[in-house]
Amino acid sequence: MKRKSIFGAIGLGLVASVIAASCGGSSSSSSSGGAPKKGGTVHILSMGEQIAHLDPQRNYTGTDLAFAASTMQRTLTSYKYAEGDAGSEVTADLATDTGTVTNEGKTWAFTLGEGGTFEDGSAITCADVAYGVSRTFATDIITDGPTYAISYLDVADYPGPYKATADQQAAFDKAVNCVDKTITFNLKVPVADFNYTTTLTSFSPVPKALDTGEKYDMKPVSSGPYKIESYEIGKSLVLVRNDKWDQASDPIRHAYADSIVYEFGLDPSVIDERMIKDAGDDQFAVSESIQPENLPTIFDDEAFKSRRVDYYDPFVSYTNLSVKNLSCLDVRKALYLALDRDALRKAGGGPYTGDYADGFIKPALALDYAKSKMLDGLNADGTANVEAAQAAMDAAKTSCPDVAKHAADGLVYYYPDTPVWAKAIAIWIESEAKVGITIKGSPVEASKYWPTVMNPDTNYDIVRGGWAPDWANASTVIPELFATSGGFNLTRNADDPDYAAFDAAVTAAKADLDRVSQGKKWQELNQYVVDRLWALPGTFLKSQSIWGSKVGNTYQWGPYGSFNFGELSINS
Amino acid sequence: MTSTIDSIRDDGTGVPVTASIVGKSPRELAWNRFRKDKFALFAIGVIAFYIFVALFAPLICSALGISPTRLDGQALNDYGLPDGPFGNISTSHLLGVEPGTGRDILARLLYGARVSLMVGFIATFLTTTIGVVLGVVAGYKRGKIDAVIGRMTDLTLAFPSFLLIIALTRPFTQRLESIGVPEGNPARLTYIVLVLSLFGWVYVARVVRGQTLSLREREFVEAARSCGAGNSHIIFKELLPNLWAPVIVIVSLSLPGYVSTEATLSFLGLGMIAPAASWGVMLGDSVKYYRADPTYLFIPGIALIVLVLAFNIVGDAVRDALDPKGDRQNLL
Amino acid sequence: MFLFVVRRLFFAVVLLLAVSVFTYLLFALLPTDPAALTCGIHCKPETVLANRIRLGYDKPVLEQYWQFLRGIFVGRDYGLGQTAFSCPAPSLGYSFNQHACVTSLIGETFPVTAFLAIGAFILWMIIGIGVGAIAALNKGKWQDRFATGFAAVGVSLPTFYIGLLVLFSVVIWFQILPFPSYEAPLDNFSAFITAMILPWLVLAVLSAASYTRLTRNGMLEAMNEDFVRLGVAKGLRLRVILRRYVMRQALIPIVTIAGLDFAGLLGGAIITESVFSLPGMGRMSIRAVVDSDLPVLVGTTMVAAVFIVVANVIVDIAYGFLDPRVRVSS
Repeated sequence: MKRKSIFGAIGLGLVASVIAASCGGSSSSSSSGGAPKKGGTVHILSMGEQIAHLDPQRNYTGTDLAFAASTMQRTLTSYKYAEGDAGSEVTADLATDTGTVTNEGKTWAFTLGEGGTFEDGSAITCADVAYGVSRTFATDIITDGPTYAISYLDVADYPGPYKATADQQAAFDKAVNCVDKTITFNLKVPVADFNYTTTLTSFSPVPKALDTGEKYDMKPVSSGPYKIESYEIGKSLVLVRNDKWDQASDPIRHAYADSIVYEFGLDPSVIDERMIKDAGDDQFAVSESIQPENLPTIFDDEAFKSRRVDYYDPFVSYTNLSVKNLSCLDVRKALYLALDRDALRKAGGGPYTGDYADGFIKPALALDYAKSKMLDGLNADGTANVEAAQAAMDAAKTSCPDVAKHAADGLVYYYPDTPVWAKAIAIWIESEAKVGITIKGSPVEASKYWPTVMNPDTNYDIVRGGWAPDWANASTVIPELFATSGGFNLTRNADDPDYAAFDAAVTAAKADLDRVSQGKKWQELNQYVVDRLWALPGTFLKSQSIWGSKVGNTYQWGPYGSFNFGELSINS
Repeated sequence: MTSTIDSIRDDGTGVPVTASIVGKSPRELAWNRFRKDKFALFAIGVIAFYIFVALFAPLICSALGISPTRLDGQALNDYGLPDGPFGNISTSHLLGVEPGTGRDILARLLYGARVSLMVGFIATFLTTTIGVVLGVVAGYKRGKIDAVIGRMTDLTLAFPSFLLIIALTRPFTQRLESIGVPEGNPARLTYIVLVLSLFGWVYVARVVRGQTLSLREREFVEAARSCGAGNSHIIFKELLPNLWAPVIVIVSLSLPGYVSTEATLSFLGLGMIAPAASWGVMLGDSVKYYRADPTYLFIPGIALIVLVLAFNIVGDAVRDALDPKGDRQNLL
Repeated sequence: MFLFVVRRLFFAVVLLLAVSVFTYLLFALLPTDPAALTCGIHCKPETVLANRIRLGYDKPVLEQYWQFLRGIFVGRDYGLGQTAFSCPAPSLGYSFNQHACVTSLIGETFPVTAFLAIGAFILWMIIGIGVGAIAALNKGKWQDRFATGFAAVGVSLPTFYIGLLVLFSVVIWFQILPFPSYEAPLDNFSAFITAMILPWLVLAVLSAASYTRLTRNGMLEAMNEDFVRLGVAKGLRLRVILRRYVMRQALIPIVTIAGLDFAGLLGGAIITESVFSLPGMGRMSIRAVVDSDLPVLVGTTMVAAVFIVVANVIVDIAYGFLDPRVRVSS
């Protein structure tokens, strides 16, 4: 999944690249003693101007999903509302259980529980869930959301409920059909963990009569314990209790706070300062991340001990190489060996950035992770190995002179135009210059970065990468990042001679219904990519959070790498 | 007291010393007035110093053994912050190091001066040239041409210039690159200078037009015309020489504004591309280190303020020096 | 006279039309494809094409402009069927980022900008004219030096730097004020004042600098005029001379320039609003630049231009009343 506003709000140069994300096993615990109390108003301080999308079918950012799912959008299944590893397990939400799978993984059925209601009091029906899922197909209006529904469901040529002909709608109704309270999904491919997919708000119910299409993003109808009172982009989003939500019907949410206020458009330095000062209403506030330059203040001082946490989020950062342009493994090796990863880490904040990655799957995905064999000569402390890099470049001059020349002339590196990246690119330029590789940095406006680099017409040699699994299975990592069918493959590796074998192995792994054996396959495929350096492994990212002294129940929610916003409480 | 007798005549009477009374040209008068202003002279010295270090930045850096791009991880602690007080000022880094990379701040300041001064001078040169040309033509020819230029002025002024400069940076830089300007910083700089000139000529033109309007009615122009002087002679030999005075004032007062604008654009991320240094980039980067490294916050700021102040003092002094009425006693 | 006013007004309308054409074309002819930027990370070519049609970017530029112009007078409709909606006149477009009609967005953000502009205007006139007058009356002495220095520094300093320094020192280092958090004056007057006092002061002090210089020089010129000498010779008191002759002559050009500056500020004080987190038009504009939200950009540019042109017309007409030569020559 995407990270939330990675590049910050107003490109005023005040914003550092936010390394926010969700977490895996947490290191330091957070909740204060005793059961959380009810009442009070929680504030969330944000540097963004708005929540990217509140429309459940358009929401795809980790923090935003955590926010929406825990406050307003109930889904068929959900992650457990618990900290640590328990938080990555699936449990029932609107459904009575975590689903029944038949037909070798191609048919999934869920039965809706009793008592689920929308904020206007109407009952949530199976048709509402089906309608919600169908909206994903209207890709011209419902943009930016996860498209798993489109890739998995057994229906072709369905343009969404706004434009469908009777026949097309009928075809959809066959793929997603409702019998009383049971909704059945007929998939075109077997998906062993479809009940993890249904934790995404793409599968949240939407009442057809109240669907406002493009404008639903501003005022979605709530099925959860809170509803929108006001939403002003650039100012604030105010949630109040949804009095039509029935606690008895909801097995997971507690809704301690009376109201939740999201404050937008704040400068990140100002946010940190307010959280440090912890005065007035800021005692009831949480923030999304901490700027690297303020980490020493917070983590070197014992006074903050009870309201800070440092943990591994689910994100991995890495560097995509255009295998099409850099079709020579020696050059790719030289790039990796010459890179001063220690300097990059320091520029990002030092140890708080994270650990050097040995691949693209984080240890938190226990079944899918295995320690990889790293490139010979790569220093464990992250410093550059100039001799080995030079040797690789010398080898490249004979094995692939064209690519070597291209590297000496200038490799185009598209990077997001932020001050932190300006420093990172300077480090790249300096370290690669030592072995004769010229890096030409090409800044792209932060908000346009992904659309620009994902455009097949953009010609680059190197771009950045950052990813987290959409759920606890590397099937949302390896194929997404390195298969041509993947949604986020920036390596342009389709023409690599080793690709065909890779693709076949990926297909086999996806079809493997035995989770343990599937995990072993992902480990091998991870090693496969690391051996060929289609991308350079970077960092297993860490994240830090701080909260106000009167906020309770502040555990970091594993799958999303953020607070469980709907569960925050106020200790008076 | 010096002697008032020059020589003795034959009959014994003295020939008095008659100090030759040489009329001083307005230029000399102005220069004398200017010379008396100690602040202004000092400011000129400061400006000269800045220009000097900017021009010779590479030599100075290699002499001091510093570089604006070399990373120095040793000077940083584990968090990437300078590992000593005041941004880790030391003998190897006279003004400290940059957080995150460890690059030498003095070196970056010197190279940044080149960018800021270059933008300032080129933009000033372009706006002044365009402004003077259009202003003189409008003021001298009057009538239709004046009306057309006046409409151009109105149209240019109607746009919210700052917003447009920001909004059009990336697309226009791309356009420039596609027509052959070297990509990266040359294109960015070209864009900045062009767009500043596009909006800046108006102010120069207005003043010059006003001056031309009043000048053309003066006696010496009438005299020249009655002698049969053609338009181009009048413009070049009579008008322009009398325009340099207000133009110099404008130049010295607008240049710091352009330096300032470049700094603001860099601060917004629309200026120099990494790893190039400019004062605006440094200022923008330094802001978030107000807590962790406040020295970094002040150094580029002070450099900018001093330069700007110097130009303004010179500009004010020139204007005061050129204004003959300013010599009169203060009546009140 | 009447003919003069009519001519000016007519020209103003033509100018606004020209500005609208220029602005629209400028943004419409940008090399970046706005449709490609509407769909984030999962952008398939079919989606981009659909978005282009939905947003109307597939039509020729002139037709797009015509739709835009028409919208200002009669409003504009978007979408089809169940998901259709419209922006009532005067419609400046619809922002898909903020899911709102541009006109209503401007309506929400403009009051903040207006408050900022009005407060700053009052302050900078008082400070600028006050300090400039003191400088003129004490020419050559330390007051004059100080004022000139202040003017020099204030005129060219980058607003963002001074603004941030002020913010940090007042709020964080010396903790005199809490963090600015804007609220409308009718909702919470004390929070409003707390949030606005710093931006007012910063903007006023930096702007006052040029007015200090203008006032000082204007007054000095006026004081050296012959009619002032006449007044002194007649034995009029200093205060009377100042009020009746000097200030009037010095202030006319100053007030007109101030009016134009004020109008320019109404278009949005981009940097000040961003530094002090004020939800005004300036901050919305820069947001639109970052997000490539073209409808908002075009809308705010037009609104800013309207203010400038209107102010120019008012100034010209006022000058027309005061100075007959202007009427004749134009």
